[in-house]
Amino acid sequence: MINIRQAEARDVVEMQTCNLTNLPENYQLKYYLYHIASWPELSFVAENEQKRVVGYVLAKMDDDGPPDMEPENGHITSLSVLRSYRRLGLAERLMNQAQRAMVEVFNAKFVSLHVRVTNKAAFSLYKNTLKFDIEHTEAKYYADGEDAYAMKKNIKELYPLEMDSLDF
Amino acid sequence: MSMTVSELPHKEQTLFRQTLKLYEARQYKKGLKVSEQILKKFPDHGETLTVKGLFLTHTGRKDEGYQLIERGIEINPRSSISWHMYGIVCRNDQKNDQAIKCYEEAIKADSDNMHILRELAALYTQARLFNKVVEIRERLVKLNPTFPMFWTGLAVAYHLTGRYDLAIKVISTHESGRNEPPLNKLQISELVLYKNLLMELNGDYQQALEHLKEIRPQITDITAWKEQKAKLLLKVDRKEAAATAYQDLISRNAENNEYIVGYLACNGLDINCDKDEDAIIEVIDTLRQQFPSSNRLRFLPLTFTTGENFSKAAASLVKYALRKGIPSLFSSLKALYADKGKGAALGTLVEGYATQIRDTQRFSDSTEDEPSSVLMWCQYYLAQHYDYYGDYERALTLIEEAVRLAPKIVEPYMIKAKILKHAGDFRGARDTMDYARQLDLGDRYINSKCVKYMLRNNETDEAEKTFLMFIRDDAPHLVQETLEIQAIWYMCERAHAFRRQGDIGRALKHYHQAIASFDAYYQDQMDFHSYSIRKGTLRTYVDIIEWEGTVYSHPIYQDAARSAIECYAELADLKTAGTPFIPIVRESDSKPMTRNGSSQQGQHNLSAGIGETKVFDVDKDPNGTEFVNSDILAEALKLVERLEGACESAPETHILAFEVHLRMQKYFLVLKSINALKTIDAQHPALPSMITRLNQALDTDDNFAAPLKGALKSQISKAFGTTSIDAGTDQSLAALLIAAKGMLAMDQTFATQAKELLMKATDDKYADQRTLLRLLEARQLLEKYGADEGNLAQFNSEAKRLFTLSTCF
Repeated sequence: MINIRQAEARDVVEMQTCNLTNLPENYQLKYYLYHIASWPELSFVAENEQKRVVGYVLAKMDDDGPPDMEPENGHITSLSVLRSYRRLGLAERLMNQAQRAMVEVFNAKFVSLHVRVTNKAAFSLYKNTLKFDIEHTEAKYYADGEDAYAMKKNIKELYPLEMDSLDF
Repeated sequence: MSMTVSELPHKEQTLFRQTLKLYEARQYKKGLKVSEQILKKFPDHGETLTVKGLFLTHTGRKDEGYQLIERGIEINPRSSISWHMYGIVCRNDQKNDQAIKCYEEAIKADSDNMHILRELAALYTQARLFNKVVEIRERLVKLNPTFPMFWTGLAVAYHLTGRYDLAIKVISTHESGRNEPPLNKLQISELVLYKNLLMELNGDYQQALEHLKEIRPQITDITAWKEQKAKLLLKVDRKEAAATAYQDLISRNAENNEYIVGYLACNGLDINCDKDEDAIIEVIDTLRQQFPSSNRLRFLPLTFTTGENFSKAAASLVKYALRKGIPSLFSSLKALYADKGKGAALGTLVEGYATQIRDTQRFSDSTEDEPSSVLMWCQYYLAQHYDYYGDYERALTLIEEAVRLAPKIVEPYMIKAKILKHAGDFRGARDTMDYARQLDLGDRYINSKCVKYMLRNNETDEAEKTFLMFIRDDAPHLVQETLEIQAIWYMCERAHAFRRQGDIGRALKHYHQAIASFDAYYQDQMDFHSYSIRKGTLRTYVDIIEWEGTVYSHPIYQDAARSAIECYAELADLKTAGTPFIPIVRESDSKPMTRNGSSQQGQHNLSAGIGETKVFDVDKDPNGTEFVNSDILAEALKLVERLEGACESAPETHILAFEVHLRMQKYFLVLKSINALKTIDAQHPALPSMITRLNQALDTDDNFAAPLKGALKSQISKAFGTTSIDAGTDQSLAALLIAAKGMLAMDQTFATQAKELLMKATDDKYADQRTLLRLLEARQLLEKYGADEGNLAQFNSEAKRLFTLSTCF
């Protein structure tokens, strides 16, 4: 059915193709490479039986703060699941993986994302399924002038740190 | 006047240093002025001429820039600064080989310049000259042993040359010593995990396990650590401990195939081994109780079970999916259809469900009514099932029922369109997809599907309009934006559409757009040679390099490159025949789709300082004249050579190499291609036609020296004996098409025989092989080589009998 695993360099062209067929916000290949070279732990892909990427989450840490500060917030750059692979809970499962990594690796407290105010399907996914809250509306966030909801979710408590046994 | 910078008067020296700063600050116009100021007093100062040239290349006067740089170097050929600048310019223009030569000159005169050495290391890496990377990186470590980027870079260089032990040694030597700047927490975690990976690669599993324990407190990437632990425990055959480790991983991600397969291996089980069937079922059942929501665990039993076990697993999964309305059910199960029994069983299963629901609104083993959507999803599945077997009429009846049950849902229309496409009704397929698109105009996925179907129906203009609906409104030039966002699938499909319509010029232009995207992909790694090492993500960096090494084997690249080669071959043939292809001018060419916009930034740039915005010129060559008028076979040869490097194991690579070499009359290379194909597949249906064509070309080429000809001919007959061009065409439709094409490529004397052969393509002896695409190809060849009306009509009616729903015959 579907295999969910960390995104690797070999996935970037498929991720880009998945994005281009599915979403209006597109990026050059290098931007995908930049994500996995910078935060290799945070991005994941869902692949089908034919090893085609049918969904992915591309994520990063906010590094806008002063350079000596540790980043606190994770950010979802792009989340995409092909229309024909809906109802498998892929978006939720992909997000879950990314969020856990944000907490475990970077000690993140929040994860944030932007969504077009007119994109009802995506908004409902983030609000109802993934339990994000609207933080505020960012006017003219998108290149074409559309506003975005800046959404945020507290993830700190969701993934308690476990102790690994070193007895092996 | 070979005066160096230090020999300039103080004032000019200051100005010169200023130019270098301005270059770094990207203030090219200012820099240009300052360099001209120096040249006023010292018009023949080599290094200043070079720096002026450098600025010129950045201000739109590239040719002049190169000339000045070369003159500067001529005046002062030992200047490291000048060679370095020349190298930068070549690198910016992606002339990497030439850039390497310049950098090598630059370090001759300034062997300890770390800046130049680092850039040269990046260029060597880009060119896959890993031994040279090692040399340079060793030098850098000697120059500054406490700088972490240098010794981690050296470790990676050793890794890339397969010397894992040396890589481990470098890390051990430096990791706990003084480092300036010191490594941060994330870099340390990455470094120790990288070291552990190297130990694994070096085969030191036990040692790696011990190391893994030691480093745990330093680890931030906990998933990677846990994965490494499970993998290593399994490798040293500590199955019980490994099983616990995999169990832990599954509890974090129960959709990961590798974890589950790993867990099974810990239980001594192999999913590809029949005799383990019952035992695997037991283990998976236990896991499913622990992770009931895992779709992967639900699905996995279908892949290895047989008979009764399969029926049980299939029933559970299929019922779950039908109730939930999972549209991808058939796609997920399609791979199982390779097993004929499984395919049939799945069809019977869903047919049974459809009957049960229709009769009682319930599954027979259930006491609750199902929602009406379940019947719709049953028919939706069965339509795809019959489509798979080529029973398009039945598939269509089923999908139409699904459409009636859910007329507002997009998905059934998409399947209906797909069935029509397979059945040969491209227009109907496209109309159906367009109808679905209009049900959900805001959804790009259905828009993309529609664009693809429009292109399959050769509607390039309509497809373009539809595609551009999802290109951001503020893009300065909408059509250029499709290049900017690297929509490779679209470029390639569009090219195919032009090609089907005989517009070779536009086809080539769009194939080359896709090809250029892959060149950009390859070039993309350049910045990561320093970025990744600085960031410390060494495992990912090695992955990037390894993946980039295979980028030209991507299916879309292969498709574009092969098709482009075929186009070039066709251009060459038209030229030889005295009827050269003339680029097709369309009315729309003079009305470019431009739009002014304020910003070019948006989402398309990288943050963190990687990359620059590219500015595209407006389309000056709408119909591909540039490609039509190029040195056709030389261009084709470039593509062939790239394929030979990247896709050596693909038969098509050598078939196309053959086509190009033959047209260039390079007969020894022609034979080499034939032999390469024979090595891959001694029974390949293209071989007889290739051998015949080579023999024929030798016989008719009077300019080829007789002794060489004799030598070649004896080699051919020794390797292949006597072959006939139509060998194998009796059994194989693929062979028939290749033979016909080969005959038509030779000369007119074979045309009658070729046409007779093609008319047989619909014969019942090819019952399992008569695909729509093959029949379309046969018909196209008949048309191209002047079959008479009667024959064509006969062919079409035969084909129509096979594809009753088709509109293309």
